[in-house]
Amino acid sequence: MSDPKAQMIEFILKGIIRSPRTPIDEKTPLVSSGLVDSLALVDILLKLEELTDTRIPIGKIQAKDLDTVETMFSSALRVGKPRK
Amino acid sequence: MTGPNTPLVQHFKSLVYALGAAPADRPFVTMWKSATEAEAVTFGVFRERARSHAQYFGSLGLKKGDTVILIMPQGIQLMSAFVGVMLLGAIPAILAYPNHKVEPAKYHFGLAGVSANLKATLTVVDKGFPEDLLSHIALHANSRLVCCENELPSQPWLESGDDVEATELAFIQHSAGTTGLQKGVALTHGAVLRQIKHLAAAIRLSSEDRIYSWLPLYHDMGLIACFMLPLACHLPVVMQSPMEWVMQPRSMLEIMSMERCTLAWVPNFALQFMARRTRPEDSYGIDLSSVRALINCSEPVRASSIDEFVSAFSNHGLHRNAVHSCYAMAETVFAVTQSDVAAPGPSRIWLDGNALRRQGVVRVVASSAPDSLCLVSSGRPLPNTRIRVVSNAGEDLGISRVGEIVVQCDSMLTGYYNRPDLTEKAVRDGWYRTGDLGFLFAEELYVIGRKNDLIIVAGENIHPEDVEEIISAHRAIYDGRVVAFGNYNPDLGTEEIVVVAEIRNHNDLVNVPAIERELRSAVKAELGVAVGPLYIKPPRWIVKSTAGKPARTTTREKLVAEHPNLLHKGDHFNV
Repeated sequence: MSDPKAQMIEFILKGIIRSPRTPIDEKTPLVSSGLVDSLALVDILLKLEELTDTRIPIGKIQAKDLDTVETMFSSALRVGKPRK
Repeated sequence: MTGPNTPLVQHFKSLVYALGAAPADRPFVTMWKSATEAEAVTFGVFRERARSHAQYFGSLGLKKGDTVILIMPQGIQLMSAFVGVMLLGAIPAILAYPNHKVEPAKYHFGLAGVSANLKATLTVVDKGFPEDLLSHIALHANSRLVCCENELPSQPWLESGDDVEATELAFIQHSAGTTGLQKGVALTHGAVLRQIKHLAAAIRLSSEDRIYSWLPLYHDMGLIACFMLPLACHLPVVMQSPMEWVMQPRSMLEIMSMERCTLAWVPNFALQFMARRTRPEDSYGIDLSSVRALINCSEPVRASSIDEFVSAFSNHGLHRNAVHSCYAMAETVFAVTQSDVAAPGPSRIWLDGNALRRQGVVRVVASSAPDSLCLVSSGRPLPNTRIRVVSNAGEDLGISRVGEIVVQCDSMLTGYYNRPDLTEKAVRDGWYRTGDLGFLFAEELYVIGRKNDLIIVAGENIHPEDVEEIISAHRAIYDGRVVAFGNYNPDLGTEEIVVVAEIRNHNDLVNVPAIERELRSAVKAELGVAVGPLYIKPPRWIVKSTAGKPARTTTREKLVAEHPNLLHKGDHFNV
């Protein structure tokens, strides 16, 4: 199994943007650049919870916390609670 | 049920009077932030805050009849500023707050048209408004931009609004649409209060009701159903920011459970969105037994979305008949029709899909019949509301024929603000031409889509021309050789924007990934929504009409033939 950030990039390319040709890496702005819109954030958040084995409490995360793959993983570390 | 204790039987000449009559200690707005953080105000405290805003705006020279643009985050500050403007007899209009980092030049473009048309005396933003966008707000010569303090000194409520008459403008709400094409709908106090009275009767509003909302206040569903209705009927409303809901849609269910809310309005897509994105392990503790009506509004109502939601949450106390439907628009203040909330859900009929698509004829068939199509009623007209279905030539089509829905009621717009040309086009002989297609059957209205090619993404109306113009502006795209259209995505429960664009030069085909990224960014920055499937084709791919313009329907058919997976299977009806 590849590392969680690589899995997230693959998920975003195939499941969200649906264009594997689009070049993205851990630092690529996703929300602020328009690659990802607000309707897709929940899918990214659910995937993030799955990959980090956490549950992110309601109201504790904002769109800017999910703007890059790097920031979303650090946000999960900051506010995520271990899943029961 | 509406009873003698409900405040709904009272008649007020203005919204200001309605607010003034509320018991001071009654809970009004709770702005929910997280499970441990919320801001709540009673009617009394809310009135004091509104009065503080009125005093502040008055000190800036605001006077009766002036217009004010409010660009603030969803919350109590925005709501009290809105009422504060009305207290002075001035006319507020709420515009969308920039959610993410928006390219400053695009923001300038987006706001310029609306602010110029409103000729606002004041444009009010909050202290947290992005600094790099402040200098890009386009204002006309006599307008002033002010940053409103988060905390204004509290002011006692004094009876006011003595000189505000029912026939005077209360506020301007913008019709759904992209910024460049938004129309400011001017509404009087009388029209808004008549709508509230009819709506309250139709949904059997009671003093026991408690409303939940994540709906933006710049949209009629949020402004009227979830702010003006509770304000005039003295009911509590629990609110959440739209962005927090969309990131964690289960939050609506959790908040309704905790706060024991009874009513909410949602666009159709939200039902499926919540059902599919609430994992079984996240449903623990959800109890929807308090919900008596969840009203599906602002997009065509789909049976599959209702069924999916009910099936997902009936084990969590949701009554099987809790989901209802409504047809609404900014031009009539809000609701035109409402399903009977005492009935077991909105009526459904199964029609011959072929007859409907090809001849616009309503032919009822068995649900098991081949090519049968299930349609959900939006209910019956509200009191003092008349609906006709007409042909392109304006002839009455009577019942059981598909045509344009036209409406007449006692809560109609006064006109599009400063746009008599648009008003004249939309309102003919006292009837508002909605641009929506539908039919009347058994005294109920069924709405099936839009007359033009409007794309509805999660309740937001997007004009394909706007998308095409943005894409065309890219240096690598052949100018004007772009087609955008909506395509229903059952996974999202709403339409997504499909774009096909022709590249100017064959050599640029190697740069497609970078071009694609730039195009997606440009559309998101200007329209606030993302493009779904995006196809970049070689020169001369797009089908042109005899007039030399891209032919949207034929190009769409060609694209679908090349990419059959583009069309999702579902119960949708594309007109």
